[in-house]
Amino acid sequence: MPQQPRALANIRVVDFSWVRAGPWATRWLGALGAEIIKIEWPESERGRLPSTTTPQGVEVNLNTSGNFADTNVNKKSLSLNVRSPKGLEIVKRLLAISDIVIENFSSRVLRNWGLGYEQLCEIKPDIVYVSMSGYGHTGRNHHYTTFGPVAQSVAGLTVLSGLPDRPPAGWGWSYMDDTGGMYGAMCALTGLYHRNMTGKGQHIDLSQMVASVPMNGPALLDVTVNGRGSARPGFPPGNRAHWPGTPLVNNYRGPTVAPHNAYRTFPGGYNDWCVIVCHSDEEWHRLVEVMGAPYWATTEKFATLTGRLEHQDELDAHIETWSTMLDKYELTKRCQAAGVRALPVQSAEDRVEHDPQLRERQMYLPIDHPALGVHKVQNAPFKMSQTPAANHLPAPMIGQHTREIVEGLLGLSHEDLRAGFDDGTFWPTKRPRFPYMEEMLQ
Amino acid sequence: MSEPRGPLSGLRILELADEKGQFCGKLLGDLGADVIKIEPPGGEACRHVGPFLDDIPHPERSLSFWHYNTSKRGITLNLEIADGRALFQRLAETADVILETFRPGFLASLGFSYDTLCQSNPGLILCSLTPFGQTGPWRDYLSSDLLHMAAGGEMASCGYDEADVPNAPPIAPGGGNAWHMGCHFAYISIMAALVYRTVSGQGQFIDVSIHEACALTTEAAIANYVYRGEVLLRQTGRHHAAAPTNRTQFRAKDGTYVTALITGGLNPRNVRNLASLMDHYGMADDLNDPKYQDPAVIAANASHIIDEVLANFIASLPAEEVYHAAQERGFTWGAVRTPEAVLQDPHLQDRGFWKPVEHPELSRSFTYPGEVAIYSDSPWRISRRAPLIGEHNREIFCTELGLSRGELSVLAESRVI
Repeated sequence: MPQQPRALANIRVVDFSWVRAGPWATRWLGALGAEIIKIEWPESERGRLPSTTTPQGVEVNLNTSGNFADTNVNKKSLSLNVRSPKGLEIVKRLLAISDIVIENFSSRVLRNWGLGYEQLCEIKPDIVYVSMSGYGHTGRNHHYTTFGPVAQSVAGLTVLSGLPDRPPAGWGWSYMDDTGGMYGAMCALTGLYHRNMTGKGQHIDLSQMVASVPMNGPALLDVTVNGRGSARPGFPPGNRAHWPGTPLVNNYRGPTVAPHNAYRTFPGGYNDWCVIVCHSDEEWHRLVEVMGAPYWATTEKFATLTGRLEHQDELDAHIETWSTMLDKYELTKRCQAAGVRALPVQSAEDRVEHDPQLRERQMYLPIDHPALGVHKVQNAPFKMSQTPAANHLPAPMIGQHTREIVEGLLGLSHEDLRAGFDDGTFWPTKRPRFPYMEEMLQ
Repeated sequence: MSEPRGPLSGLRILELADEKGQFCGKLLGDLGADVIKIEPPGGEACRHVGPFLDDIPHPERSLSFWHYNTSKRGITLNLEIADGRALFQRLAETADVILETFRPGFLASLGFSYDTLCQSNPGLILCSLTPFGQTGPWRDYLSSDLLHMAAGGEMASCGYDEADVPNAPPIAPGGGNAWHMGCHFAYISIMAALVYRTVSGQGQFIDVSIHEACALTTEAAIANYVYRGEVLLRQTGRHHAAAPTNRTQFRAKDGTYVTALITGGLNPRNVRNLASLMDHYGMADDLNDPKYQDPAVIAANASHIIDEVLANFIASLPAEEVYHAAQERGFTWGAVRTPEAVLQDPHLQDRGFWKPVEHPELSRSFTYPGEVAIYSDSPWRISRRAPLIGEHNREIFCTELGLSRGELSVLAESRVI
């Protein structure tokens, strides 16, 4: 059977990005078939180390981070000292035959290297340049730095997560590194489409912090249109759509309904929870049937939405006496069979091992990594009929493809490669080389 | 000179989407595509989601609908009636992309499977964005934003330290984010298909799963499990972790909070820098003591440094002041802001982020969040407020498809539009 085409075949990306957001962007361009050339330098590497995801019993080094291995599938690695004149010349030769440049440094780094957009255009006039800085390249705070949690805080995402009258629970991970990565890929693809249609490249100045803001759209319009701020009683309302005993206003969770909460399930472990939501009286009546129509549920005060919202504490306590008797997957099955909205809270282990839907859809497929062996990596959440996205390369070891790129792609000689290793262009002269580097030099 | 056009100008998108997909349509529209939102007669159900203008519920007053439906034209069409389907067929022949969020199989049951649609329009891209995708044991399950945050793993990572809120439940972050996650991946897949079409001329069918998009959006949680077998703890205002980590969220003098990350952890250099920052306010406590140049001493006094000295420093100042003072000295810190505080941010004003959007029917203009990226050659721009119900029926059915005004009124009477 002939191999299916890839959406981004023949597209080459020079990827200066590091840590998470940038690499998460180029991971998807790679899955769609672009050639991703990751430019790295071990002395200033951020993303491979320090690693809290190296398997137990494996030496922590630049090639053994599990999280790096998942975040950087579908890429090649060129180790190159871009801060040296020779390294800069080599990267310019690479840029001249590339389509997209992506970086997530702070706002002035590339310009200081002599690779600002104007210089990039001189090298490759129709280049699509996506900068993914924390605050963007313009504006008074352009020099500020972010990680996901800081972007989330400053942009207003953190404060909308939590229980009322408690500190913000916030997001338990760098949502804006994931999502900033999404926007990086979105900008690159949009710029590429525009280039293919018009022949013109451009600079796309993305800001991680700014990208967070529109995700609070309804809350922001509540301020600009209604003058209602979010510093108010009962906000944020935990998992509920509304906190009982406080003024009845929409809290940006969709329809204002009850039940709308997380409930403990059997046997009461850390992640033994299930969420249940009823969007209508009809859905509530179905839930009552699933619970076996207990007397409390048929009483007048729960018969209407207003009553359920008003008596939400009591409602939730009653539901939990029922939910704690059932395993979260069993509860889900019973509810969904009856047309009731319910799903389990799932840990990473649950998703990888127990989620029947993700298993059926092949969300986690094994890939063989040269330093870590065979492990599951995350697949694309979309299936394209003509150009399926796929993880076709394991994450690269640092500098793994230096010879392939320098000799094969750029046409330098093997002697040039050896000289570049000797003079510190392709690897720091005083730093021990990995065995695969010695091999590529033979 | 004509106004610069967005990068997606020239593309026509038909959006048959509810809360699951409207954000994707907005992104495509703000970037210049001609997005036609097709609603059932009477309007889409999202119009009944609050908050509402002046708190008066009405399908033309939903601020949620307003936000998620900018830069679209709107028509009404009943696809369950043959006449409605005939009109849809004609529109589909003019479309580059159809984005739909019906339950799996519904569009095909109306006679609009991808195979049928592409016969008259081989370049068509049909993107079906659904809770679980078109296949699998959960494909017909009901969902909601909260349900996706549970099953996708977000809730398992968000919550409180036991000391802050005993027995706290897992917490779902702010509303709408399941739809954002699905829409970001839908946008990526649609753009990839469009890029492929520029070189191949060929369209395709795309099956996007919101559950999978959410399951992918928990940073290193999956890697922690796959590579180390770890299941992570929820912690107040900071990252999930296999074992408890130092606090990073501190209460400031004004009662709001500051996110204060110590990048690289507590080491001699970071303690020196912290001391220098706090010294400026006379709040360095004992951090200038040379003993803190010994990593072992720092480790033994981590709780003192974080929970006392740093916490006291932040408690003595307003959050915004801590944020800017720290950032100017190279710390990656931020104020935990409310949306109303974000609206005051001068940096966002410098970037021209806030955009006035005219609502001519109200003779008013409101401020909306604008572009998150500045495109140098083709602007990202809100071109119009969300459409009123059937606002562009005449423009699209009469002017573009050539129906007469009489035919249009017959369609309205028979509830086709």
